[in-house]
Amino acid sequence: MPAILEVDNLSKKYGDFEAVKGISFSVEEGEVFGLLGPNGAGKTQTISMATGVIPPTSGTARIAGHDIKTDLDQVKKINGLVPQELALYPTLSARVNLNFFGRIYGLRGKELKDRVEDVLRIVALTDRADQTVDKYSGGMKRRVNIAAGLVHHPRLLFLDEPTVGVDPQSRNHIFESVLRLNRERGMSVVYTSHYMEEVELLCNRVAIIDEGNIIAMDTVKNLVGILGGGMINVGLEKVDDELLEQLTQLPGVKEAVLAPQPVSPPPAEGEEPQKETEPVLPTTMVKIVAENSQQAVVNVISFLNEQDRPLTSLEILEPNLESVFLHLTGKKLRE
Amino acid sequence: MKSLSIALKDLQILFKNRGEVIQLFLLPLLFIIVFSGALGALGEGEEDTRVPLPIVDLDGGEAAQSLLAGIDAAGGVRTELYEQAQAQSLIEENDISRMLIIPADFTSGTAQGDTVELTLISHPDADIQQTEAVRLVIVGVASDLALERQILASLRQMGDMQANAPEEYQVFNTDRVLAQARIQFERAQTQPLIEVVQTVPSEEGEREETPDLGVVAVAGIAVLFVFGTAQVTARSIYDEKKVGSFRRLLAAPMSKAALLSGKMLPNIVVGLIQFTVIFAFGIFGLKLLGLASPSLGNDPLAVVLVCLIICLCSTAFGILIAALARTENQIGGLTSILVWGLGIVGGAFIPIFILDQFLGPVVKIIPQYWANRALSNLMLRGLGLADVATEIAVLLGFTVIFFLIGLWRFDFD
Repeated sequence: MPAILEVDNLSKKYGDFEAVKGISFSVEEGEVFGLLGPNGAGKTQTISMATGVIPPTSGTARIAGHDIKTDLDQVKKINGLVPQELALYPTLSARVNLNFFGRIYGLRGKELKDRVEDVLRIVALTDRADQTVDKYSGGMKRRVNIAAGLVHHPRLLFLDEPTVGVDPQSRNHIFESVLRLNRERGMSVVYTSHYMEEVELLCNRVAIIDEGNIIAMDTVKNLVGILGGGMINVGLEKVDDELLEQLTQLPGVKEAVLAPQPVSPPPAEGEEPQKETEPVLPTTMVKIVAENSQQAVVNVISFLNEQDRPLTSLEILEPNLESVFLHLTGKKLRE
Repeated sequence: MKSLSIALKDLQILFKNRGEVIQLFLLPLLFIIVFSGALGALGEGEEDTRVPLPIVDLDGGEAAQSLLAGIDAAGGVRTELYEQAQAQSLIEENDISRMLIIPADFTSGTAQGDTVELTLISHPDADIQQTEAVRLVIVGVASDLALERQILASLRQMGDMQANAPEEYQVFNTDRVLAQARIQFERAQTQPLIEVVQTVPSEEGEREETPDLGVVAVAGIAVLFVFGTAQVTARSIYDEKKVGSFRRLLAAPMSKAALLSGKMLPNIVVGLIQFTVIFAFGIFGLKLLGLASPSLGNDPLAVVLVCLIICLCSTAFGILIAALARTENQIGGLTSILVWGLGIVGGAFIPIFILDQFLGPVVKIIPQYWANRALSNLMLRGLGLADVATEIAVLLGFTVIFFLIGLWRFDFD
């Protein structure tokens, strides 16, 4: 499959702050690609550069072979953008909104009318298309928001956190619409979210992004496979290298390492440090990646009892993208 | 076409907002009724039909006081005292049409029988007939004053002569006194002690304002509210950015110039509608209400052109505000100062010549001042397009400056 999107060492700086740090990835034609990361990870900035909304500081991206730096007009015709915000005119009806966005993409006359009717059908709002948007529920507004990005039939659709603040019914409707567009019309989709369930459900491949860097990129199955049978976090009073080695040797355990420790915040700028930055927790967290989580839990607890090392905490995590993110960054996705 | 689509969409949104429609189109009419009525009544109550005559009294003596009292008493002319430098400046700016200078040796000169010179200076554009009428009043009062002075001088002279002469040489009997007075009268006619010299400054100045205060309000309020539309443009851009539709437009295949043009067009259209509504109401509505109403002057096409340029300037003003303000509160604050504050100082409710007197050259940095001046010259004074070339050039200059700063500071990110 040829790549519809190729991102090459793309970065964005605001003064000294680097929001996106030279990331590279590609999306194949007909693929649903996920950008998973917490708020502020750089997902929206990446999408904004790829759609020509903001210029990159360095690097570039190509959409169907058209470079965003040299052939932006072609790039914009191929792309569709559904922003995170409800980018609509609330005092106008859904139909008037969609007509307007269609005209902005050069559609006129019967073609425009047909396209508007088509996208209204896709988001199931034909019956209420003449109602002003401010009368809609949050979920309906989200659906019109998506329809506005579809009206010109883009080959590549960027959906930026499209389900924020949406009720479960509308969320399911949005999922169905995305899958149908991909399946029936071959539309390629870049889907950003900080909800790992959505990405797991919709995306063929996922790039996990944090602090402007892509820290992992693969199919969902392979990413989850990093954790094998899951992950166990064990709190202990004292940990040394020998103990970690012994834990790694236990049946059902793939790996045992020290988890990143939450530390007290550094002193504010200009303030004298009261004392050295030190861990907040009195105990040490050990992260155990399991091949088989049940077997690993039983063996780890038995071993620690035998060693007379009391547990201060125990957390068992299912193998999913959330635990993968925690495993890779030491942070939760929604922190 | 895409710019037009944006403009049509913005106009659709604007006309659905009743509050903004009232603010843009109905509020100015209410202001016009109130101010036309109030200013018209004010004008009637304080009406003084006498021609004002600024006086520079360098003498300050008894004869000068008599002269001023005589001019005031003659009727038709009202004296107003000024410092010489102030009067000179005002006449150069055409804020006063004429002035009379009483020389420093006026009292002593007339007392000694020397010829003294009163100088009447008039602006090139001053009403010639009015100036001649004023000159005749001054000549009349000055002649009477000169005659009186000469008679007194003669009698004093004769009295002195008689007192010093021996009794047998007392030759100044009544006949001689009358004969002497007669000679003095004749001399006063042919060789007046006081000459009135009329001069006209050589510089081309501004034309005299003769505004009807009630009528001034129509043009002033139109300018105020058309510039007020800049707030709508700034807020529209802010709202687009806030809801994210601006980002969506930036992602569409259109240039930033086309996007901004689309945001500017509604301001121009709304401004032109405002001018049409306000002037139509001023011309026809005020007449129906029995108030003084303006006309479009002698060159209506020039009025249309000036209105279009004012709309352009207002639009560029809106882009500037949108570029400078980062929050809704900042838009409100900047609008209050730049649109409403400067609009009022720039002549929304106050005739231009009064602004010039009170604020001097400061008002010349305010775009609304030039807009008011252009409309005032065209509509109230009946001047033509060529006469407002300066005002048009200044307004276009403001437009370019606002637009360039706006583009420079505009945050497309």
